Amino acid sequence: MAAPRAAAASAKQVTRQNFAEAVLELRAHLEACDYVAVAAQKTGAPTGWRRALPVDTAETAYLKAKLAAESFQPLQIAVCPFRQRNSYPSTLVAYPYNFHLFPRDELQLGMPSYSFSCQPCYLSTIANDGFDFNMCIYDGISYLSRVQESLAREKIFTPRPHQLLSSPNTSVADSVFMNRIKSRIVNWRKRYADPSKKHDGSLVSSLSRLILGAETYGSRPSMSIDVCSDRQVQLVLEAVNHISDDLVSLVPHKAGVGRAVRVIFTNSKEDKNLLLMDIQKLEDEQNFKFRGFREVIDLLSSSQKPIISYSCLNDLTMLHTKFIAPLPPNMHEFMCSLKMVFPNVVDISHLWRQIGPLRKAKNIQAALSYLQRQYFVPIEIEIPQQDGTSSITKNEQNVLRITKLFAKLSNLLKISPECQLQSREQCTAVEEYCNIFYPSCVVGGSDDANFAFESDTTETVSTDNIIFLWGFREKSVKELKSYLIGLHQAFSEDFEVKLLDKTCSALIFRDSNTAMQLLKEIGSEGPSLNRFFSEGLKAAGFEVYKKVCRLGLWDSDLAEVLEDVSSELGVPTLPECSTSQIYWNSELMLDLKEYLE
Amino acid sequence: MQVPGRLRRVLRAPPPRILLYRAISSPPPGGGSGVAVKQVTRGNMEEALEKLRGRVREAAFVGLDLEMSGVTSAPWRDTFELDRADVRYLKLRDSAERFAALQLGVCPFRWDPAKSAFVAHPHNFFIFPRKELPSDCSSHEFLCQTTSIEFLAKYQFDFNTCFREGISYLSRAQEEEALQKFNMLHHGRTVTSSTNSEEDGDMPLKSASDILFTERMKMNFKEWRDAIASKPMVDNHLSGNIKCGSGQFQTVFFKMRPAIILNGFSSHQLKLIQQVLRKNFRDLIFVCTFGEDDTSEKKVVYSDTDEDRILLMKDVQEDLLKNREERIKSAIGIRHVIDLLSSERKLIVGHSCFLDIAQVYSKFVRPLPSSIKEFALSFHKFFPHIADTRHLMSVNQAVQKLMKHKSKSLSSAFLLLCPASYSSVEKPSSHSPVTIEVEGDETMSSRFISGAKHEAGYDAYMTGCIFAQLCAYLGIQFEQFSPLDNLATNTKLQKHINFLSPSWNSGTVLDLSTGMETPDPGYTRRYPAAVYDNIVVIWGFLSKVRPKEIKDCICKVFGSGSVTTVFSIDSTAALVQFKKQESVNDFLDLKAVLERADSAISILHPLSTILEGGQTRAAKYDTYRDICSSSESKYLFADQAEAVCATSKNQLIENVDGNLISDVLDGVALASVTEEDGIIPSSKNQNVAEATC
Repeated sequence: MAAPRAAAASAKQVTRQNFAEAVLELRAHLEACDYVAVAAQKTGAPTGWRRALPVDTAETAYLKAKLAAESFQPLQIAVCPFRQRNSYPSTLVAYPYNFHLFPRDELQLGMPSYSFSCQPCYLSTIANDGFDFNMCIYDGISYLSRVQESLAREKIFTPRPHQLLSSPNTSVADSVFMNRIKSRIVNWRKRYADPSKKHDGSLVSSLSRLILGAETYGSRPSMSIDVCSDRQVQLVLEAVNHISDDLVSLVPHKAGVGRAVRVIFTNSKEDKNLLLMDIQKLEDEQNFKFRGFREVIDLLSSSQKPIISYSCLNDLTMLHTKFIAPLPPNMHEFMCSLKMVFPNVVDISHLWRQIGPLRKAKNIQAALSYLQRQYFVPIEIEIPQQDGTSSITKNEQNVLRITKLFAKLSNLLKISPECQLQSREQCTAVEEYCNIFYPSCVVGGSDDANFAFESDTTETVSTDNIIFLWGFREKSVKELKSYLIGLHQAFSEDFEVKLLDKTCSALIFRDSNTAMQLLKEIGSEGPSLNRFFSEGLKAAGFEVYKKVCRLGLWDSDLAEVLEDVSSELGVPTLPECSTSQIYWNSELMLDLKEYLE
Repeated sequence: MQVPGRLRRVLRAPPPRILLYRAISSPPPGGGSGVAVKQVTRGNMEEALEKLRGRVREAAFVGLDLEMSGVTSAPWRDTFELDRADVRYLKLRDSAERFAALQLGVCPFRWDPAKSAFVAHPHNFFIFPRKELPSDCSSHEFLCQTTSIEFLAKYQFDFNTCFREGISYLSRAQEEEALQKFNMLHHGRTVTSSTNSEEDGDMPLKSASDILFTERMKMNFKEWRDAIASKPMVDNHLSGNIKCGSGQFQTVFFKMRPAIILNGFSSHQLKLIQQVLRKNFRDLIFVCTFGEDDTSEKKVVYSDTDEDRILLMKDVQEDLLKNREERIKSAIGIRHVIDLLSSERKLIVGHSCFLDIAQVYSKFVRPLPSSIKEFALSFHKFFPHIADTRHLMSVNQAVQKLMKHKSKSLSSAFLLLCPASYSSVEKPSSHSPVTIEVEGDETMSSRFISGAKHEAGYDAYMTGCIFAQLCAYLGIQFEQFSPLDNLATNTKLQKHINFLSPSWNSGTVLDLSTGMETPDPGYTRRYPAAVYDNIVVIWGFLSKVRPKEIKDCICKVFGSGSVTTVFSIDSTAALVQFKKQESVNDFLDLKAVLERADSAISILHPLSTILEGGQTRAAKYDTYRDICSSSESKYLFADQAEAVCATSKNQLIENVDGNLISDVLDGVALASVTEEDGIIPSSKNQNVAEATC
């Protein structure tokens, strides 16, 4: 008996036209929800050996995710706060939002992105799914990261109404300054507050304006008072406050340089309120240019709700580099920085791997369909009707599938947000599953017939057991393995072969001593390897591969860059400063908690 | 495509619609505003190509324009006045390779003697670099420059049409590679099929289900084959279904031989079936064919003799060959247009079209060569007659006077040179404007949209209009022009053919027929000529340093007037040209010494303004060229330089004589104390290597 099918759902489509109202709604929904599902649609994905491979450690997988996050551009980000009700059947209330982004240079500063990469096959696929590029590029919401906003505010500043602080005791110099300013403002204000003055001739008015330094702010009279310290700003504000209630002060929002406080005259209390509303509106428009979509990220961060995502490493590195700061050079710094923004991130694929038969599921749809067949977890999804748009893009479906799958998995794994309130029941806090990311590795094609029967063969393999091999010509894995057996006695040991791209393969030995010995003989060019060398084969250890990733030599074939780095070092391996580990299976798990110690 | 003016045009308002309407001497048939531009996508590419061929054949010249996804991949890859010709080409090559062509404008102009007017047919081709062949191994990734995409969006570029229905393409080099690879596959398969009877690696039957499946399939095939072989071909029973145990095979005919269609089997099961046939049945052959929509169909075919089997395999191979060749031909796509223009040998007109022709070469011929000379000569064979309207405007004195203080962008030139109303402009009678009409297909009116939008087809039309007016200024009398005349060989025009203005500020002109770049007297040079051997590139400033500060601190050391020019590449780097060439080595040596000597003198030295922070680097001009030729692209020049140096294998070994430090410091101290200009330490080791990276 299948769970009732979710109604055809549509997320709220958000562009810069309706961004302000959507943010208000999202803020309210975030307060009421338990979790937030996030999915992103980008302009491309890594290809070739730049994808996460079975031989990657957490560090090299991070470097590849960093490359993709910096190259490609998010076009849509779907955000779906949802909450669960503990009724029978379980009910899920979801509020999906689909934000269309485009990195428009709103402030003419060359930010947020000078350029970004696109993959034609990717764009064609999402075009066939109904993606509206015109909407995205014409009306997409722009953004600046936090670091970019700081840089931008140094170049552009706007005056703001300043709050008067409680003043300490004033000194004699302060009193003299304040009295002088007060006298100047009073004389200037008289021209507008006193009706009898309006009978002056135009020449006298012009001369008065020149002497008093009068200006206009929009349609209202104003004047500027030069100040040279924060203290003087406070004194001017005090003086203005004492004189009258019909004056408004604007203070430039930048420190460190000479500036002026602007005093504006208003006719009445209503006029003053209108002026303050206008100033607030200008400030909001400016904030939109300074932050844009980042306001949503800031909302998610301040809500502290767990983030549910798929291919977390790719999505979170993208969120970090676009909306927070440039990515750090290594995994450890990235995790520390990310945890300050999103303390709890759940990779949905890590959750489904907690259930044995789901380990072989390759994507969300496979996991959902398996659960539908094998488990009875009825879930009702309520989506309060948003606007009436009927088009559903792949990104929205993804975020709703993540939501639904998480609800089913949390039911099976007994994850509850109210865990501490039900001490008698065996509940599990969601924090136990947080911050464990799976790099999105492309699984080799396996037949569905083997799905239920193949045993879990995940095991830990040290990087010392790996040798990278290149120089063979157009061989399959089987051909290469039988070809190697006849070349050297080391290949009579038990080892596996995996093609990384057309030009390079990885050999994984069960015995690390065999691999180390072979690399030493290759380095010293022993006579037993004459056939190996005459065939044109080359080999290198894992440290060379790690150096390739660290140097960012992404543009060539893997064999070419391995050859370049090997010949530059002069030896096929480096001194072993450290030994990392990979998980030799198509499902790779990176336990990132160890990087936080 | 206007390379230097492109970003500048983002800030300029588009010309209003009324002016565009008045720019046309006579409205197109059927009325309506603007210019009718034919929109071509995948759907109507074939018919548009046929009509275009006829129009190009009749044309006197063809206007060409491209809209691209970007112009520069980093701000420092813009063209600077201190760029040498090879550096400028390397920057252009980087742009042509990284960015995609999204729209191609082609506008043939035919002279109509009866009307004494040109008749134009603007075409707008949407391009998208979709991957058509699975064997294509190029990286297939293109860059978008944000400001360029914003520019296209501002003029309502239809990205949905471009990405969904854009015409893909295959360059000539890619086509040759695909055919070559296909031929290799073909020969390889022939060898494989001749040894089909050999057992190459049987799959071990691990599970009981595999063993049972294999045995059942063996029995089924045996029954079917026996049923076929035991009955004569004329028997009517063959047309019906044959029950074979629990399975049911439907007998069909493949190339006049009985066959079974294998439907519903998994890939694992298909492997088992192939193994069964290979081991047990000599007269049953496994065949895989492809349909129109690239779906594969697996069959088992009965063949009673060895000769017949060989014939069957030959037929299958020939079908496969034909199918792949057709796919390669259809993948050529938009390149048919370029091949058409090339084969017709007409005069091609562009506006500031250096980047456009580099794009055309890179996308449709082969990857761009490493030198500008090789590129120019190769492109010249492909398109022997190119005219650049920007160059024509620059060398014509009358036009120069007319356009004084005005932008030479395409829109500005169009509005000035192609006015529709005579009375609004006072002109000499000898320069009456050339009349141009736009002819739209009556039957294809639904495919035309207004050309008021800023797109490649309309830009090609504007380019052609400007060219026609410029020809009038050159004294070419179109009234005496016969449709059979070759405009490219016109004596008044010939000396301007194949000359491009490489950039707005170089003062030079590029000759496509020789690959040489030479100064042109018609160009006004704004800056003194650059002496590249006197230039050093400096990068890695700790904070933003203004060019005047750089000049001041260097002149304190080497004397006032020792620095001719300082040009900021970006906030992290600058190019400095010295008056004398020996100052370059002196500067590099002094910098190396100051960085090694950690003392009060080096801190107080005038050069500390730019050496502060310890990250400043300097090198000769050739290093600047190497940095520009790298395929990496960082946003800041200093990051790019570090990336290039990190991957460089030529690590320069710096050998500094210990005695030199004290000598130079003494000299420096003396210079600082006495404030004499131009004092250089006389005792200098000539063997000091260049200190770079």
